[in-house]
Amino acid sequence: MDLDELYRLLRGSHVRAQGVVDTIRDPLLVLGPDLTVISANPAFYRTFKTDREATIDMPFDKLGEGQWNIDELRLLLEQVIPRSASVFDYEVTAEFPHVGLRTMLVSAQRLAHPDNGQRVLLVTIADATERRRVEVEKDILIGELDHRIKNLLSVTHALARQTDVAGRSADEYRDTFLGRFEALGRSMEATANGRTAELPALARAVVEPYMEGDRDISVADEAKVDLASNKATPLGMILHELATNATKFGALSVPAGRVKIHWKLSTDEDDVSWVHLNWVETDGPETVSPEATGFGTRLIRFTAERELGGRAELSYRREGLIATVSFPR
Amino acid sequence: MHDETNKPGAGGSLSVFVVEDEFLIAMDVEMMLEQNGHAVIATAPSVENALRLLEEARPDVALLDMNLRGELVFPVAERLRSLNIPFVLASAYGTVDFEGGEAVADAENIGKPINERRLLDALRRAVGQG
Repeated sequence: MDLDELYRLLRGSHVRAQGVVDTIRDPLLVLGPDLTVISANPAFYRTFKTDREATIDMPFDKLGEGQWNIDELRLLLEQVIPRSASVFDYEVTAEFPHVGLRTMLVSAQRLAHPDNGQRVLLVTIADATERRRVEVEKDILIGELDHRIKNLLSVTHALARQTDVAGRSADEYRDTFLGRFEALGRSMEATANGRTAELPALARAVVEPYMEGDRDISVADEAKVDLASNKATPLGMILHELATNATKFGALSVPAGRVKIHWKLSTDEDDVSWVHLNWVETDGPETVSPEATGFGTRLIRFTAERELGGRAELSYRREGLIATVSFPR
Repeated sequence: MHDETNKPGAGGSLSVFVVEDEFLIAMDVEMMLEQNGHAVIATAPSVENALRLLEEARPDVALLDMNLRGELVFPVAERLRSLNIPFVLASAYGTVDFEGGEAVADAENIGKPINERRLLDALRRAVGQG
């Protein structure tokens, strides 16, 4: 209900108006020209856990423990009667006795008694604490999202720049870049919405695009390993580099070739649990060590050491590559 | 006359300390610097890790990301200052966006995504070779 309507009701039947005022959920005060309280509605007493004794005939700025004793607010209220000004949503954040820290929005409007012309102030107080809290949380969330978007742009930029162009057609460059980009997305997806990534699900998600046709990639079912969220993306990117390398040069470049992904756990002397993940290629073309360190090899080593806090061993056996990535869980 | 030989990495290679929480960006920076004849002597993904590495490491210059998984890089900046090691920021944010930003207020921010030319120029300027 708006103030005009309230005003009309107040002019009409006193009893009916009293009922309306009593059921309004927001605290209401009627103040005299000297800003002392003439009356208060039940919501006022309820909200501020106070009573008539401590409220009626008290100066507005002495209510509670003086939370409304704000020079600026008093000046605004003092203008309402002589100038017919109004106060709209003046924000007061304070520690209220028995109530705690609250953010209140104060609005005030002049009312004139229809019979004797006495002017009073109708003050409404809305508790905006919850709304403010939600707004602050929303701002934090938006800030976090903004940070992630900016980060993702930078990471994408880095991937695009470091994906090799030498000796490649534009098609090849695009496919290699998009493969990495997709692996990043799949790895991030594994931990989206606060989910815990786990083996074998993460490994399956990353190699799935390479399982087209009758390519033979088997991912062990056991043991299920929960991965900290900051380990999932790095491990996913490592697996993707191994897969893309295998389709170009390794076992997955020929029909008979196979890849097995399996892992075991160990506990070191400091009682830290380690994951040892093996990528084993067999029945592929004869394998030779690459002459130069490409982006893929570099990513595997860099990531295993600096991001996973472990190590990667790449063993180019004649019968196929064995990669072992070991890292603390 | 100016004695250029007293300056770190005079006319050539700089040893760079990289503080960056996104491993793919850290790797990109390392590759860019190496491709231009510089060396990354260490990379750290967190404030704690960076401070530990700085107990030993004495780079010519550092490159700092501002926001490391919700943690601000300022303690690292202060440590670098006390060691007289110049640094450059690589952050998508302005320094004034954060409380305590004085620690990095007069450092150059090359922004993100990182542009190679801008990175190299800023590192040179930071060590007084700009």
